[in-house]
Amino acid sequence: MKTISKAFALTALALSVAACSNIERSRNLANPRVSGSTLAQQVCASCHGGAVGQDNGTSINPSYPNLAGQQAVYLETELQEFHDHSRTDPAAKDMMWGLASQLTTAQMKQLAEFYAQQKPHPNLNQNDPALVASGQKIFSEGRAAQGVPACATCHGPSAEGNGPIPRLAGQHADYLYKQLMVFNTDAGRETHSEALERPHGVAMDAISHNLSDLEKHQVAAYLQSLR
Amino acid sequence: MTRGKHALLFMAGALSLAYLPTSHAVPLYARQTGQACVSCHLGGMYPQLTTYGRFFKLTGYTLGNRPNLNDLEVQKDAPPVSIWLQGAKQFYTNVPNGSGAAPTSSLNVQAVSLFAGGKITDNIGAFLQWTGANAGGGFNSAIDNSELRYADHLVKPDSDLIYGFYINNHPTVSDVWNSTANWSGNFMGFFNGGTAPVQTPFLDNYAPGDAMGAGAYLYKNNTWYGEVGAYKSVTHGPTTTYFTAGDSGATLIDPSPYYRLAYTKDIGPHSFEIGLHGMISYAHNPTAASGGVSDWGGTVNTFRDTGIDGQYQYNLAPHYFSAHVRYLHENASYAADQVGSTVSNASNILNETYLDVSYVYRAKYGAMLVYRAASGSNDATLYSTNTASGSPDWKSWTPEIFWTPWQNVRLGYQYIFYTQMAGETGTIPGQTLSPHDFNTSMLYASFIY
Repeated sequence: MKTISKAFALTALALSVAACSNIERSRNLANPRVSGSTLAQQVCASCHGGAVGQDNGTSINPSYPNLAGQQAVYLETELQEFHDHSRTDPAAKDMMWGLASQLTTAQMKQLAEFYAQQKPHPNLNQNDPALVASGQKIFSEGRAAQGVPACATCHGPSAEGNGPIPRLAGQHADYLYKQLMVFNTDAGRETHSEALERPHGVAMDAISHNLSDLEKHQVAAYLQSLR
Repeated sequence: MTRGKHALLFMAGALSLAYLPTSHAVPLYARQTGQACVSCHLGGMYPQLTTYGRFFKLTGYTLGNRPNLNDLEVQKDAPPVSIWLQGAKQFYTNVPNGSGAAPTSSLNVQAVSLFAGGKITDNIGAFLQWTGANAGGGFNSAIDNSELRYADHLVKPDSDLIYGFYINNHPTVSDVWNSTANWSGNFMGFFNGGTAPVQTPFLDNYAPGDAMGAGAYLYKNNTWYGEVGAYKSVTHGPTTTYFTAGDSGATLIDPSPYYRLAYTKDIGPHSFEIGLHGMISYAHNPTAASGGVSDWGGTVNTFRDTGIDGQYQYNLAPHYFSAHVRYLHENASYAADQVGSTVSNASNILNETYLDVSYVYRAKYGAMLVYRAASGSNDATLYSTNTASGSPDWKSWTPEIFWTPWQNVRLGYQYIFYTQMAGETGTIPGQTLSPHDFNTSMLYASFIY
């Protein structure tokens, strides 16, 4: 009886202490005073990778993209698209719309810079060597006959990205393939440019339509294998 | 109610369904984080939690925005409440078992739950559930799974620690791996289980409100989990109306300890958990009635439950798969005055085996199979169904299929069939029944908002 009374008293004490919460460890998504790096570690890390076992921004589950070393301009653009609900692919709606809905411009900038500064790591997922070899050819040479330019032209020779053009090296193949399928989506659109699920990815629209399903898998596998 | 009113209600219901958002925002946690059910629940199969859902619960339901209740319009916030309705048509094959009438197959509102809670401060959050359940012909409402948590998350360059404290209203409410009794299975219980004499360990039998507990837990480097808690029944004061001894039929007057240890590992889309959990329940018997009133200060039966549990999950759209296993060993020792009255033996053992596998495609089309069984020492008084052996042994299988047309609507059909009951696969000695006489199926619809 006494023990449990003490336990309750201790819990009550802990709860009252909690009233003075620490802004450095907050998971509040609607408080502009919480810094981007705090949000990255307290919220984003639970899917996109935290400090232990994987550095910040290197995710374990391929559902969630790696963010480490990603281009800051690209990250900020995407956060803005989640924030204003202009990126409309299902995963973005399900996972990111709510999380980004009340972030301030400053917080989004801080988050983008935080992840751009993290060191990217080699992707540990298994690759099929045959897919990788074919993917490399598409990446560096394109498919001229199909109207597909070399990915390296825009994404850089090492797929490191450039400003608004994302880094793809070491990204999860599953995520890359699914995003190619997002660019490939025609549902509800009368023209290609109208209501693209990722409005800033309009350059990928024709390319993804011109790549076959197998080619999408090949190029995704190659990009995943890049360090 | 007039026919017109019925029509009006139906139209209102149809309209509210038509205007349901198909993506983000269903119940209160979804409104708090702005995320869809699939973020925290594997393939949308509540109550099964994803790695991220576990994080949300372990950090005390504090991730997200707290609704501004003072100014709902400006903030476009909803109050932190939800409602869950479950309707079902249940089909029985079973017949009266000794006492009690055979349940009738009926179509009914099975359960109505109200939820409240979510983020209170940056470190405190709650899960509060109140359920009105239609069980055994009557509609009873009572407090259901409820807890209040304080949690903090310390992140350093080479370490990660989540720790917290909780107060809750029965053991295993705190579970985040869906491998202990409270949150395992599909959470669509038969609203009238009929009269099947299934024996389960004491730890599985706690109903919400049976015992209040306080506990502490930590989760280190997303790998090691440890938890200790202590439970005690509320025996005095006004709250006894809400927190009274229920199914367990006994009262914990002395603090009864609960513990859990787990090792977890995520590799790509795979998530693994293996652990130990257990509880020692000091269950007091009622005293002999004095002046026509009995109290719960009598002798003590002690139930020592020790379990091993595990979980495997695959979480990568469009495929979601999970499997859970639990083996719980119970060593029960009874007070001397019980032997010869409520039990025959001074001590009994009971071992429970639980297994489930489930799969969902595109978070819409799913199936689940649950195997559950127990076996233990024979006791002619405690397990009187079988008049020859007094065996508690039973085995059951529960296949289920379901469809989730929208993330907050689930339609399903499940069927429980028993292959062993009271130690028998055929007619039970002393009864006119066989295990299959207790088979039950149910067509259900569940709606949560």
